[in-house]
Amino acid sequence: MKDSGRVVVTGLGVVSSVGIGREDFWDSICRGKSGISQIRSFDTSNLKCHRGGEVKNFKAGDFIDRRKVKYLGKTSQFALSASILAFEDAGLKKKQIQGENTGVFIGTTMGGKPMEDLLFTWVREKQNTIDKIRLSQVLANNISNNIGIYFGINGMNYLFPTACAAGNYAIGYGYDMIRTGKLERAVTGGADAFFYIGFIGFQSLYAMAPQKCQPFDKNRKGMMLGEGAGILILERLDVAKKRNARIYAEIKGYGLSCDAYHPTAPEIFGVTKTMENALEYSGISYKDIDYISAHGTGTLINDKIECRAIKNILKERYKKVPVSSLKSMLGHPMGAASALEAIACCLTVKHGIIPPTINYKTPDPECDIDCVPNHPRRQPVKIALNNGFGFGGNNSSLVIGRFDN
Amino acid sequence: MPEKRIVITGVGVIASNGIGKEEFWQSLREGKTGIKKITAFDTTQFKVHTAGEVKDFNPEIFLDSKGLKDLDRTTQILCSGVSLALKDSKLEISERNTRRIGVVTATTLSLLYNFTEFIKDSEKNGPRFVNPSLFPGITINFPSSQVGIRFHIKGFNTTVSTGFTASLDALKYAVDFIKFNRADIVIVAGVEALLFQSFLGYYSLGFLAGLKGEEISCPFDKRHNGIVMGEGAGVLVIESEISAGKRNAYIYGEVGGFGNYFDAYRASKYDPRAQGLKNSMSRAVKASRIKIKDIGYISSAANSVPLQDRLEAAAIRDVFGKYSSLIPVSSIKSMVGETMSAAGMLQIISSLQMLHKGFIPPAVNCLEPDKDCYLNLPGNKPMDKKIKNFLINNYGPGGNNASVVIKAYN
Repeated sequence: MKDSGRVVVTGLGVVSSVGIGREDFWDSICRGKSGISQIRSFDTSNLKCHRGGEVKNFKAGDFIDRRKVKYLGKTSQFALSASILAFEDAGLKKKQIQGENTGVFIGTTMGGKPMEDLLFTWVREKQNTIDKIRLSQVLANNISNNIGIYFGINGMNYLFPTACAAGNYAIGYGYDMIRTGKLERAVTGGADAFFYIGFIGFQSLYAMAPQKCQPFDKNRKGMMLGEGAGILILERLDVAKKRNARIYAEIKGYGLSCDAYHPTAPEIFGVTKTMENALEYSGISYKDIDYISAHGTGTLINDKIECRAIKNILKERYKKVPVSSLKSMLGHPMGAASALEAIACCLTVKHGIIPPTINYKTPDPECDIDCVPNHPRRQPVKIALNNGFGFGGNNSSLVIGRFDN
Repeated sequence: MPEKRIVITGVGVIASNGIGKEEFWQSLREGKTGIKKITAFDTTQFKVHTAGEVKDFNPEIFLDSKGLKDLDRTTQILCSGVSLALKDSKLEISERNTRRIGVVTATTLSLLYNFTEFIKDSEKNGPRFVNPSLFPGITINFPSSQVGIRFHIKGFNTTVSTGFTASLDALKYAVDFIKFNRADIVIVAGVEALLFQSFLGYYSLGFLAGLKGEEISCPFDKRHNGIVMGEGAGVLVIESEISAGKRNAYIYGEVGGFGNYFDAYRASKYDPRAQGLKNSMSRAVKASRIKIKDIGYISSAANSVPLQDRLEAAAIRDVFGKYSSLIPVSSIKSMVGETMSAAGMLQIISSLQMLHKGFIPPAVNCLEPDKDCYLNLPGNKPMDKKIKNFLINNYGPGGNNASVVIKAYN
């Protein structure tokens, strides 16, 4: 394939509960460090669950002009800070990014805390006016717009609110736009900050674990919520080569599908079809898969269905291919989840280290995959599959490959 | 290999001045407005009382009643529009073809309703005792997911939330998915409901007509003084020419080229140079492999906000030069209000009739044009004109600009 039709990852930016910046993040997940802690950013006394993957020691002012910070909701602060880190990591200056050859593609779930605060105020105080600053933070599309404005990026600017799979949707479309020559470069990924309603909601579905997230474990008790942002700078290979960029990985393709089944529950055919699509569009066989970064939320149903679907895909190889869940460490950072996991996949193919599924004790015969329990594994990975599933049965699977010239 | 041609084979519309394409088109021809007194919520304590609200809407006419009353208005309007479009396209969805059919929905504010209901429930019963069935509705992609579930569409299901340009951005995404062979057929929808929460938002920001001056939507007229809100859903079935040929589908028109440009100017402020809108228009024309003089009509996004109307008028004059005095330009928002993420879809559907019936709808309420909005504005009567290509504009204060050309199919 010509270099102009290939898309590589040249910059990674992370805001997460286990570390800010690519290095801290990678170091933590390779050590199996958990980001789950007692929640401090809001009062949890009315909730059953008091723990989550909260981002700690984050000051938006460290990255963004302090005067601008107050106009940004927390999700937007995460997304913009991660973008700044990602461009730094890619060695790109503002001047190189500006113009219309760069695009912005961001995923999130609902827009963020400012909207929730606003609606709470309206419901509680029956107040009929609001301050304009808060309103400027409310709309979901502000998250991607703010990135465009900050860097002076004039290319396509998209916001995908495709629930918990949103990051993969955004990365996927950015990849398509570069691959087909519409753009040279894209800022892609996902972001979400904690919101109270998320806790109440997942709690009402009995989907949340009280203490820790234990994907694939027989005694798993559910998910934990997380937050953060993951941003990947995608570039056309010839453009990246020309500027001698460091290349982490190559995006090989992706697949989507829709269960069309239930608002919250996953369904096996849809999940299987997603991975099949991903392989088909990437032109690879199931035999080429070296690692799967699972959606792996730690709920009874998700892990069971996902493991079955993985069996369908990997066939006779299903016990031989490592499958791990970062959510054991990060919790479920919603719109940022698949983006942070995609970042981990890029580093996995680059360094040949597979991050573990932590908190794993008791095997579950229904999840008898190799989940890389508790300890990272040094093993070369050429092709990684990154799964992300969301409410509404919106599934995605991204194929990330080691870069070979 | 020549690029795949993408055609429109189905239309569904729920608008304040017409439910179903025939009624909608008839209303536009007659200049019949859907803007009336708001009944969805009480406006007595506000200075604004009218909107383009869909009245006499009964979703049971279009949809299976099972679970229907639990759906919020946005989702009901969207699913009804999709039902109309599918029927119109005579597309049968089965296990045989469903994996090759996708859904793309444009919506931005729709979650406000379900979100508020969830908060109310939590305030009333306590956070530990909320009704779990309300929870999935707080995600922006809930309405689109319901389309997937109700109509068993399994190819993919994506929501695009880029505000005022979401309809055209969603259409571009859908066209790309067919061109990249990720699907054969895509249902593309734009939807936004008239919600008290969005009303409050627009109201608090001072955007609504009636806060000062007359409460009227009159794009390009010198009385323009703000937005009149609207609601509705516009749905298109699009597919590759080959797919349409195979199933012998009626073809309304062809989707031409897109242009888009992000004005990285300032948060929630229009770039006074309107560079983005100029670029998106000229690129859409270029990508359609036609000349600017081939554009027969421009469906404008002007929404009766003076700055917005003037910027678009100036941008059109700049891009079209001497032709700008020949090409008719109008905005249907004078009849349906500002429907935000649904606007682009309603604009496309309104324009499709021109390809077929050969007339341009009257520019309602545009009696005395603002002198800064000098354009070829049609009068108060429908104008007979055969049109081959029309241009649709969408833009918003967030910085997004998008344009698309729709062509007569031959």
